[in-house]
Amino acid sequence: MATAVHLDGITKRFPGVIANDDVDLSVERGTVHALLGENGAGKTTLMNVLYGLYHPTEGRVVIDDEERTFESPRDAIDAGVGMIHQHFMLVDPMTVTENITLGNEPTKWGNLAVDRDAAREAVVELSEKYGFDVDPDARVEDISVGEQQRVEILKALYRGADILILDEPTAVLTPQEVEELFDVFEELTEQGKTIIFISHKLGEAMRAADDITVLRDGKNVGTVAAEETTREDLANLMVGREVLLDIEKPPTETGETVLSVSDLAVDDDRGVRAVNDVSFDVKAGEVFGIAGVDGNGQSQLIEAVTGLRKLKRGSIVFDGEDVTKRPRRERIESGMAYIPEDRQERGLVMDFDLVENAILGSQHSPEFESNGRIDWESTRGHAEDIIEKYDVRPPNPEAISESLSGGNQQKFIVGREFERDPSLVVAAHPTRGVDVGSIEFIHEQLLELRSRGVAILLISSKLDEVQGLSDRLGVMYEGDIIDVVDPTDTTEEELGLLMAGQHPDEHDDAPTPDVDGVATGGENR
Amino acid sequence: MSAGDRARDVLARLVDASATERILISLASLVLAIAVGTVLILVAGRMTTCSAQSAVYYFNVGFCYDPVLVFDRLFLGALGDPFRGGWSPDGQFSIAMRETTLLIFTGLSVAMAFRAGIFNIGTQGQMIVGGLAAALGTLWASPFLSGTVGTLVLVPFGILVGAVFGGLYGMIPGLLKAYAEANEVITTIMLNFIAGGVTLYLVSDVFKDPNSPANQTVPLPDYAQFPAVLFGSRQDFSLYALLFGVVMLFALYYVLEHTSFGYDVRTSGIQPEAAEYGGVDAAKTIVSSFALSGALGGVAGALYVTMVIGKFQAGVPAYGFDGITVSILAGNNPLGVGFAALLFGVLKSGTTVVQFATDVPPQLVGVLRGLIILFVAMPEFFRLIGRRLLPEEDKSRAVATDGGERIADSRASSDGPSDGGVSGGEDE
Repeated sequence: MATAVHLDGITKRFPGVIANDDVDLSVERGTVHALLGENGAGKTTLMNVLYGLYHPTEGRVVIDDEERTFESPRDAIDAGVGMIHQHFMLVDPMTVTENITLGNEPTKWGNLAVDRDAAREAVVELSEKYGFDVDPDARVEDISVGEQQRVEILKALYRGADILILDEPTAVLTPQEVEELFDVFEELTEQGKTIIFISHKLGEAMRAADDITVLRDGKNVGTVAAEETTREDLANLMVGREVLLDIEKPPTETGETVLSVSDLAVDDDRGVRAVNDVSFDVKAGEVFGIAGVDGNGQSQLIEAVTGLRKLKRGSIVFDGEDVTKRPRRERIESGMAYIPEDRQERGLVMDFDLVENAILGSQHSPEFESNGRIDWESTRGHAEDIIEKYDVRPPNPEAISESLSGGNQQKFIVGREFERDPSLVVAAHPTRGVDVGSIEFIHEQLLELRSRGVAILLISSKLDEVQGLSDRLGVMYEGDIIDVVDPTDTTEEELGLLMAGQHPDEHDDAPTPDVDGVATGGENR
Repeated sequence: MSAGDRARDVLARLVDASATERILISLASLVLAIAVGTVLILVAGRMTTCSAQSAVYYFNVGFCYDPVLVFDRLFLGALGDPFRGGWSPDGQFSIAMRETTLLIFTGLSVAMAFRAGIFNIGTQGQMIVGGLAAALGTLWASPFLSGTVGTLVLVPFGILVGAVFGGLYGMIPGLLKAYAEANEVITTIMLNFIAGGVTLYLVSDVFKDPNSPANQTVPLPDYAQFPAVLFGSRQDFSLYALLFGVVMLFALYYVLEHTSFGYDVRTSGIQPEAAEYGGVDAAKTIVSSFALSGALGGVAGALYVTMVIGKFQAGVPAYGFDGITVSILAGNNPLGVGFAALLFGVLKSGTTVVQFATDVPPQLVGVLRGLIILFVAMPEFFRLIGRRLLPEEDKSRAVATDGGERIADSRASSDGPSDGGVSGGEDE
């Protein structure tokens, strides 16, 4: 078989970020290749390089044994590369035919008018050839998301694509539609087309791809044949084993239940169910960790708990009170601290200095405000305390947040939230992007809060972190907590399997009884 | 270095400019605008005909319009010629002050909304509604009082009524935006038309002054109008109103910078996701910001009625729309609004003087005014744009399409113009 795509040593640098670091990728003609990795691993960047949206900082793009330099997607399309983005680029009120031929319409009367009949014919022919079931005259706004995706694929084929790139094609689809999509993949590869699809879901990659390449932190950490690998190996490749930090965890007495979540169902921004009837409790003096590959509903779960996302169903009880309907501000005021996943979007106002950011979330607390007036003097003192205790650099409270490095931004947020005197800390990736010394310090502080009887809900994609810090560890897969385990009795391999959605048949350690940890029909496929 | 990099560099430098630099840039822009305007006046003066006596001569070339005279009238004439003998406050100077006063309020109205991340085009409509409400309220209350007591009670009462009704009218687009996700630009523009149409109907029918052919209410009694101090009453300007405006400049500055409400407003304005995280109720903040913005517009309407024309008349001049320019000129900073309103007020007053004193056609005067505003506003405008563009491109936010991680220690404390050209790593 010939090589359809060969990426040779692609490096893509953005200021302060290396999105792709010397990535090699080879894709055989007529195969399906999955690009697997967590959010931020550099998958989309790599494909944007292949599609001509980005110029690589270093490296070569070789298509069909010919080196290419793409100035724009137009060049890539001419070379037979088509890309279907996560968000479809279709004109809703126009018909399927119009959308597919848009920009390349067959014409008549000497290029004066669009030859609608010829266009329709071409579309019908194309969809018959690949066994697609689409109505050429339907308006795009009237057809399902799965059909829209097929229109996108047809559009790429109509433009002569031999290599199709799909960015997270299953994210918007129902399980049935996913199956149909994979059938389409088979049909296409039989006709000699090459498919590369981006995913962070192990199961899909195993199910649909011939070869799988795993990216982590912008690097290619391995290309494997789907038939010769296991979900477990893939999970380990994706999450990565980092140097294990020794976490000394003194035993503590757990107290009352601080947070009790029951039958929680939450949708993501697209309205797709992301969290499916999840229930768990967190007690005072306990770290409840949630492990899982990114994108399995963890973000939506914690946003629902902290009051940033509406729930579809279920209830949240905090400190004995039902806070399901309480707004975010009341949850903060009653002692819920939250280290958010996205520090630059949520955690800090990037144009504010550290003094102003020190009271984000407590701007109405009597500590800093009286009669509506903010006491900037005491706020400044508070900011200085955080900066000193958490070693934020530069140690200048007037520094604009934007000018700080990511790690220092994170330390400031962690400091602000820990100093709130909370009864519950919801910590999402608390050490992401932080240097090793500070990681240890943050871990110590977290355990210090735990020994003072604070309840901690920890979410991290670093396996060693959740395993080392948690007293109980729930594993999330496709919106369910499929099991709750004792992290000290569970091996990384077992966790890897759980994260891949497989329930080990023999499971010695009984899950904690107060948790509805058994998978609810999520044992898919 | 490509042209794009250079442009980005300039933007970065503008964004990082200090307050003093910004004032100097504004002054330089003003000088530049006058220079360009001079050329325009000279060229226009060559292209028209006039008698040899009335022409001016520079380097032995005759021009019909004299730029020195035009700019002298536009600025000094606007202020009633302070450097000539016989200056009196009760002249052209008070017209400039009157315009300034009204523009302070409409400018503050727009700036308030801007800071909350809202584009309030509806200040004009809120001003009209506030103006009519103030007129009707004062007319209703005036029979109960008279004399000095009447003035002391009725004038603040009129302002209050204007503020309340302007605020209520401002709440409409606020509620629509907060709870129905209606774009405020569209709704406020539409509400401007509604305000204009409904008030026109009311003063041409229900509340029409039977003794006047114009579409207006009965005139307010003298004691219900703003008293003139220092300045004569001839130009419909009251120093009290200007002082009130200056107080409001500082008050709004204080509210935005030193109160928790202001903190909520500013946070929502620049980073709504972070505001949500910080427990700010987005809907409430939108509605209250809009109400405050509308109230300031309503006060402008009340002042127009009780200070300037002494009644409500259909066809309120476009102070509300000028307020948008004033606010942008001031970088949406309440204190800056004072200076921007002054520049605008002087130019408005000067326009009429130029038309009296020279043969320059009004269209050309309009062009000169536009040039000055354009030149002075552009640096601030590009600062606004730069702040929006640069963080995305230059400061590594949102570069990797799926949330790439920033490398921990890179560029830890580097800021300033050195950031400028780093972005496009592509073109080497």
